[in-house]
Amino acid sequence: MPNNVAASAIEVHPFHDAGSPMTGAERMAANPYRPWPARITSITELTATEKLFEFRLVDECIRNAFRHEPGQFVELSIFGVGEAPISISSSPSKSGFIELCVRRAGRFTEALHKMQCGDIVGIRGPFGRGFPFEKMRGHDILLVAGGLGIAPLRSLINNIHDERSDFGKVTIIYGSKTPQEVMFRNQFEMWRHRKDFDLYLTVDHADETWDGEEGLVTKPFEHLEINPDTTFGALCGPPVMYRFVVQEMRKKGISYDHIYMSFERHMKCGMGKCGHCQIGHQYCCIDGPVFNYWEAKNIQGSM
Amino acid sequence: MLYRVIDASELPSLVSAFLETYEVIAPVKSGMSHAYSTVESFEEIALDYTTTITPLKKLFLPVRETLLTFDTETNDVTEYSEPVVPRVVFGAHACDINALNSLDLVFRDGPYPDPYYTARRNATLIVGISCMPTDTCFCHLWGSDEARFGYDLFLQDIGGKYLVSISSVEAANILEAACSPREATDEERAEFRHVTRRRQEAFNKEIPDIQEVAMLMDAFHSDPFWEELGARCLSCTACASACPTCYCFDIRDVRTPDGKHGSRERVWDCCTNPQFAVVAGGHNFRPDGRNRVRHRMYHKLNGFLATHDRMLCVGCGRCVRACKANINPIEVLKFFERKGADDAE
Amino acid sequence: MSNLEFERERPAAPRVVVVGLASCFGCQLQITNAEPYLLDVLGQIDLRYWQLASSDPMPEEFDVAVIEGAATTAEDIETLKAVRKKASAVIAVGACATTAGIPGMAAGNVEAGAAAVYGEAGAPEACGELIDPAPISAYIDVDFEVLCCPIDTFAFIDVLQRAIYGSNRLPQTATLCGECKHNDRGCFFGRGVLCLGLVTRCGCGARCTSLGRPCNGCAGLSPDANVAAARAVCAESGVSVTAFDEALQMFNYVNPALSEASEE
Repeated sequence: MPNNVAASAIEVHPFHDAGSPMTGAERMAANPYRPWPARITSITELTATEKLFEFRLVDECIRNAFRHEPGQFVELSIFGVGEAPISISSSPSKSGFIELCVRRAGRFTEALHKMQCGDIVGIRGPFGRGFPFEKMRGHDILLVAGGLGIAPLRSLINNIHDERSDFGKVTIIYGSKTPQEVMFRNQFEMWRHRKDFDLYLTVDHADETWDGEEGLVTKPFEHLEINPDTTFGALCGPPVMYRFVVQEMRKKGISYDHIYMSFERHMKCGMGKCGHCQIGHQYCCIDGPVFNYWEAKNIQGSM
Repeated sequence: MLYRVIDASELPSLVSAFLETYEVIAPVKSGMSHAYSTVESFEEIALDYTTTITPLKKLFLPVRETLLTFDTETNDVTEYSEPVVPRVVFGAHACDINALNSLDLVFRDGPYPDPYYTARRNATLIVGISCMPTDTCFCHLWGSDEARFGYDLFLQDIGGKYLVSISSVEAANILEAACSPREATDEERAEFRHVTRRRQEAFNKEIPDIQEVAMLMDAFHSDPFWEELGARCLSCTACASACPTCYCFDIRDVRTPDGKHGSRERVWDCCTNPQFAVVAGGHNFRPDGRNRVRHRMYHKLNGFLATHDRMLCVGCGRCVRACKANINPIEVLKFFERKGADDAE
Repeated sequence: MSNLEFERERPAAPRVVVVGLASCFGCQLQITNAEPYLLDVLGQIDLRYWQLASSDPMPEEFDVAVIEGAATTAEDIETLKAVRKKASAVIAVGACATTAGIPGMAAGNVEAGAAAVYGEAGAPEACGELIDPAPISAYIDVDFEVLCCPIDTFAFIDVLQRAIYGSNRLPQTATLCGECKHNDRGCFFGRGVLCLGLVTRCGCGARCTSLGRPCNGCAGLSPDANVAAARAVCAESGVSVTAFDEALQMFNYVNPALSEASEE
């Protein structure tokens, strides 16, 4: 209830002076629409259409205040071109930088792909509810990624990897359309070599370079052995994938509320306001993007 | 709630008192209808208005507003400031006050308080006024025919006099200085009951009262009705423009003509806009009228209730007039009414 | 915020050509009407060809092609195809280029029209080989559109910048009434007056209706227009459905969606 109505102003300050009395978290909360400058510190070409960008927030206070969970996303700005929600690919256990895996899929991502190391972008966030890492601790994990769905799951995978002894059997199924579209291949090879995870890399269409499985991402389930009572499922991929993978996980006996999935929608504001990411009565940006299957079943139009 | 009585003849001096320190926004005649507009005097105000074309939200969420300005060379924001003038909305109906209360839940009281909305909301006094329903009003179905909070003063017309509910100190001070508020007599209290009863009896009885509409929205989510309703949609988004609780928006960057600077703008958007649910790469999660119209109605009559315990419809009837294709909550209620009747046969 | 260590050469300004086909040239004039900003705009591009401003021939290489006007001759089609091969972005400007506009109304009647103007000998050779007028998208892929008759100067600058720098904004296909309501306007149909806003693409800010004039549809029929529902609205509002159909022809004569809708 407004009791003392007084003249004021809507103000946006760049806050370049490091002497600002506010903490990084306070400055970010003061105007959650304000992106903070971040420098591109590394670019890795993953496939013909995907690149992994590493960013470092320029302002030290903001950088130190930036903490994320696996499965969360940021809003990435190129001023004049626009803003886009992109899930974080790096592990929360490593701070100081943010990795985003970006597919060239439109004019915004095209502009990003043209950028080079040292260029400045804007980042605000992190936003959303990620995977329940603390709940998952001490359990077996079954991760299923399809295509670009590996981007948010990589954050979880790396996080688990950094605290590997806290987890039981960890199985990763990662399906791509072709061998050329498999991302983070070196990292997977390293893990396979070190036997950190049980890995199943599949491609829909194999060629002579491929020595893994050929078939849909659900194929490895045929010979997969898991203990449903101690297993958490986590999945992310193209819309068509969810129904089938969830079915397989349910067949293995994993409980509704132990299957977690990350949904893709256009989170424009990231703060439960603009409405673009609504799924039924939920906002993908604040209620998700990670939902468990029980929640998803209760959202009209989720799958 | 503290309440006092003033004479109708005292209203001009109340408005004059507000005009001394505030911008006053009130319903004025606009063509064949009314619109909320800045006024300079009491005479301009059409207090007997039925409804306005667009709702109050435009004062708090402008159709188009600047969120920040930027420099494309440094790729960072630049200093931006916009004054917020203290204002009074004079003559808001109960439905519209209830609509603002819903917007507050999203933009002021929820996670990530919106600094732009909050600044404007905090700089605005609301003076409500009672009204009588038109044929397209159904606020009573959602309990929006009465404003329980969200205003500073509320004027209940009791025939030549107003029973004034006084909610804030700031408004109380101005009321006391400009008018001679007095204790209500027994007669005036009885008259208050008479007018509220007359209002309650005046609602269009052809609009079905279906209190379980939220559950029905889930139960009939796959009904062919949505195909029929969606096939009529003109994809014009007039529904959201006219709706006092539709708050969806788009964010877009616009450069200055020299390309070196620009502003990030927030503009009204709507879930019946064909591009609303398109994601990068082009997939559209709600590709047709059926999906879009159903989603909009679902959020109004079920979704917001599930998350905020209020309908996101206040029954103001604006969409009933704005939608030329006759897609509105009354049609949905009538569908559920027919559904029951068919099953009974 | 020093960026010096990463300083590098700026990319060359995109080379732009402006091509005029059948039109009144009004949209090109609208570009010049950017007067106080014209130098600002030109500062971002390398303008290589503009019939309106210079008689130099079209260059061999360029990046962005701005095309005004409808395709009305066989030569126009050749020009369009040649331009498309070279341009990485094509911007269609104005109603004639995006919908065939007023020239479009000659479709199906080109020879008779020429005879009426030039006599039995038909159109002189200089007119070229006349064809049914068509929007340029009938012959080549179009990346960006600036709608309306005439175009808005700032809408053009905005689209040009989106073509040059990139933008995440999607072309909008909602129809006009939502924008009209932004202006706090009542509806013409409530007074039994025909308005084409029901089916016409948004984006212009509904400025005609805000000045008290019904929409004449110059932004063209939206790909998501619901013509059948709009006809029903006319019938219910006491507006002649025939008048609605006829009014739509001015800017949508060659739009296949319109003929499909009338067959329904």
